[in-house]
Amino acid sequence: MITVEDLRKEYDGFVAVDGSTFSVGSGEVFGVVGPNGAGKTTTLKTLAGLIEPTSGTVSVAGRAADDPEMRRNLGFLPEESPLYEEMTAISYLEFFADLYDVPDDVAAERITEALDRLDLEHRERRIGDMSKGMKRKVAIARSLVNDPDVLIYDEPASGLDPLTTNYIIEFTEQLAEQGKTIVFSAHNLYHVESICDRVIVMNQGEIIARGTLDEIRREHGSTEYHVYTDVELDAAEPAGDERYESVVGDMDAVEALRSQAGALGGSVVDIQTRDPSLEDIFLDIAGETPEEASEGERDRTVEAET
Amino acid sequence: MTRGSRLTAVITRLRSLPSRLRDGWPPLSPRKTLRIARWEVEKSAGTIDRRTAAVAVLMLVVGGLAAPAVVEQGPGLDDGIYRVGVEPGDPYHEVVQESAKFDARPGQASATALNRGEIDLLVTDRGPIIPRSTRKGQAAYAEFRTAVVEYNDGQMRLDDNQSAAFPVAVDVFYESRGGSRFAPDGGTDAGAGNTDGTDGTDADGSGTSNGGDGSGTSGDGTAGGGDTAADGDDGVSAPNLGGSGGFGSGTSSGDPSSISPPFPFSSLVLAFLFIVPMNFVIQAYGSTIINERINRRGELLLVAPVSRRDIIAGKTLPYFLGLVAVTVGIAWAIGGGLASVGAVIPIALLFLASTFVGGMFARSFKELTFVTIAVSVFLTSYVFVPAIFTDVTPIALISPLTVVVMDLQGQAVGLGEFTFATVPFLLTALVLFTLGAGTYREEDMFSQRPVHQKALDAIATRVRSVGSVAVVTMLLLPFVFLAELLAIALVFILPRSVSVPALFLTVAVIEEIAKSVHVYAGFEYARFERSKRAAVVLGIASGVGFFIAEKLTLLVQLVQLQTLPEGQSVFPDAAVGGIDPLIALGLLALPLLLHTVTATISALGAQRSRRAYLGAFCVAVVVHLVYNLGVSGLVG
Repeated sequence: MITVEDLRKEYDGFVAVDGSTFSVGSGEVFGVVGPNGAGKTTTLKTLAGLIEPTSGTVSVAGRAADDPEMRRNLGFLPEESPLYEEMTAISYLEFFADLYDVPDDVAAERITEALDRLDLEHRERRIGDMSKGMKRKVAIARSLVNDPDVLIYDEPASGLDPLTTNYIIEFTEQLAEQGKTIVFSAHNLYHVESICDRVIVMNQGEIIARGTLDEIRREHGSTEYHVYTDVELDAAEPAGDERYESVVGDMDAVEALRSQAGALGGSVVDIQTRDPSLEDIFLDIAGETPEEASEGERDRTVEAET
Repeated sequence: MTRGSRLTAVITRLRSLPSRLRDGWPPLSPRKTLRIARWEVEKSAGTIDRRTAAVAVLMLVVGGLAAPAVVEQGPGLDDGIYRVGVEPGDPYHEVVQESAKFDARPGQASATALNRGEIDLLVTDRGPIIPRSTRKGQAAYAEFRTAVVEYNDGQMRLDDNQSAAFPVAVDVFYESRGGSRFAPDGGTDAGAGNTDGTDGTDADGSGTSNGGDGSGTSGDGTAGGGDTAADGDDGVSAPNLGGSGGFGSGTSSGDPSSISPPFPFSSLVLAFLFIVPMNFVIQAYGSTIINERINRRGELLLVAPVSRRDIIAGKTLPYFLGLVAVTVGIAWAIGGGLASVGAVIPIALLFLASTFVGGMFARSFKELTFVTIAVSVFLTSYVFVPAIFTDVTPIALISPLTVVVMDLQGQAVGLGEFTFATVPFLLTALVLFTLGAGTYREEDMFSQRPVHQKALDAIATRVRSVGSVAVVTMLLLPFVFLAELLAIALVFILPRSVSVPALFLTVAVIEEIAKSVHVYAGFEYARFERSKRAAVVLGIASGVGFFIAEKLTLLVQLVQLQTLPEGQSVFPDAAVGGIDPLIALGLLALPLLLHTVTATISALGAQRSRRAYLGAFCVAVVVHLVYNLGVSGLVG
């Protein structure tokens, strides 16, 4: 459905995206993760035809990204919700439906359905008078007025309260279940992990990891073994009930712990395995989580401005 | 690559030029454009509350009603300014009563009142008319003479036998400054200064003469003469004829009493009415453009299946149509014709185009305010000031408003004059829209780059190949044309010893900017390899492009602007007639050499650095200046 080959984007000598190559299959939910400045938004905007690549090719459903016809089958949700605040939600959505050549009756049906599903009240209220969460829902509804096969959502839950965030993530999952192809970016790796089939991890314009979550775990992460003993070993942490927890990375280390415990007159009472989260993997690869990287960047910006 | 294949490649590139120029510009979709236009109206209507709208409409109505009245009756600043002591039974009492400038004081018709300063003029049938011995008294006396002439003329016009009433008829012709005839629609040159008639007007109350020398017709009583131009020096040949007479009309007939100052006050005020709404409309238009850029609001429109052209046309259309409607309404109200409407529309387009570019370049509403005010002041001055000289010089036609003034004065407007006055505005508006549209994309719209950087962005988006450099140079020509015409208008009042060299320098600077700024932008944005070879190729392309486009400046011949020394300074190509054919051929070919050489000099600097570009640019200007001075000497 989406093919990106050797995508590169430069701004006045600054390389925002450097040689990205990936593809997204039909009906797939594809995650793009990374800290601020990693190149996620530039990548997504290039997919939406908003930004012209410096080099490389991007095609969506067989059409070049800058082909206006491609846009008919695409719904884009930018990180912010840049809405026309003088308009009501209904008139705003009707306007965009018209631009997508959606017949009036079909548009009315779709708008009502989308707003019902998003549970948006006060539809005749001016957008400027709505809360941030409501505006976000209007923006999501706008991305659906043309009933696109491809949805590109850039940080759909950014800056929203936890309740609205969960609501929007669940809504995105519903869209995925309907068979929409979704490219999804987020700082919060938990959200990505919960709905994405495959991900790419970007840092400083480059893809540093890719694949399904299992593939990435296999490649970049390792299973942790949490070994519980009834005697205190070196580097073990108390785990309650006179048990002590040690974390190791392979079975050889587990056997070594068993030997140590036996030597001290104790034994291993329990072993649990735990797969690394995407956040752990990102931490392992990039040295900090996306949120930490973003915070760090924000701090650096504030310092520079100060 | 063989010579044949190179040729084929060149031909292929030339053939694909139109499509390459259209690159990124799919055809306009009228349905989408109209939809966006309707949305723009709905959206904007939502931002104006009813009270504000009502106040705006009321102001427009009051202004519309008041302006014709002001024009009809004059500004009224000097109503009743002169106090005249005159008895009701006096023969001059009616004269004083009829003139708005006099305040009749029947109870003070005495020498005592005059001496006390209670009146400015004493009119009695017991002796001569006595002004107070002050400047105001003298002015009152001169005005009184004028009033008597007008009163007498009015009485004569009531006579059944007009031939007896006006035995002398005078034909008036207009001479252009510098002595060349300027009467596009023909007419016989009967010479100038023939408006002198017999001065039969006295303030003695005879009331029998039809007025004659034209003196004293101006309100201040100081005007000296009704002599028309060509009076020997190089002064402005302002014929002191008003009414139907005026520049461009060729001949006019009338009675000497119709002599009035050349300043077309009434028509100018009415013409100015067309400009006033534009200054308001661009505020709203500029706001809607920058609104798309604030908080990235226009981003989603860019993702929709509409072209940038649809968006820009749709957002502009309501404001343009609004201005057209207002223009037609004003024209209908004040008696303007199609010529007026046709001349005002290019002005409206240029107002909108300049504001569009300003809206695309400004980084905040604060900057936009500066831009729109600058646009208002500059364009209003540009169109208004030349129109003041409608009756004086062809330079006035650099402003389309002059066409409006001519139309309102009932003068015929030739196609050549209309084209000359309006086409540069239209082309400039088109180029500005094109340049602004170049930045109507995500990467430029939402960036916070300085205005000059955005201007370079806009230019750089149009520069992608050697051919495009030539095309951009040609596109910049309307700016060159307008700037040079403005320069002529600005230095027109200066002595020739100053104006002509100043124009040479100005022209050199303007043209060298037009030939090099996009080449510099091309190098800055890495559109071209920074090499001397590339610079030479681009310089030649730019020079050739300019040479071709420059031939369009022959438009000046439509109004014979080249007959003026200032016109010759700026448009030497248009003034080569009447000299040796070989020299004329050289003068036509030399500009090609000049433009390619100077453009190459600037390009060589541009490919190195900004500082080198500035240095090379100065060298190019000097070469251009020397050339201009040389050609000037050759033409004589």
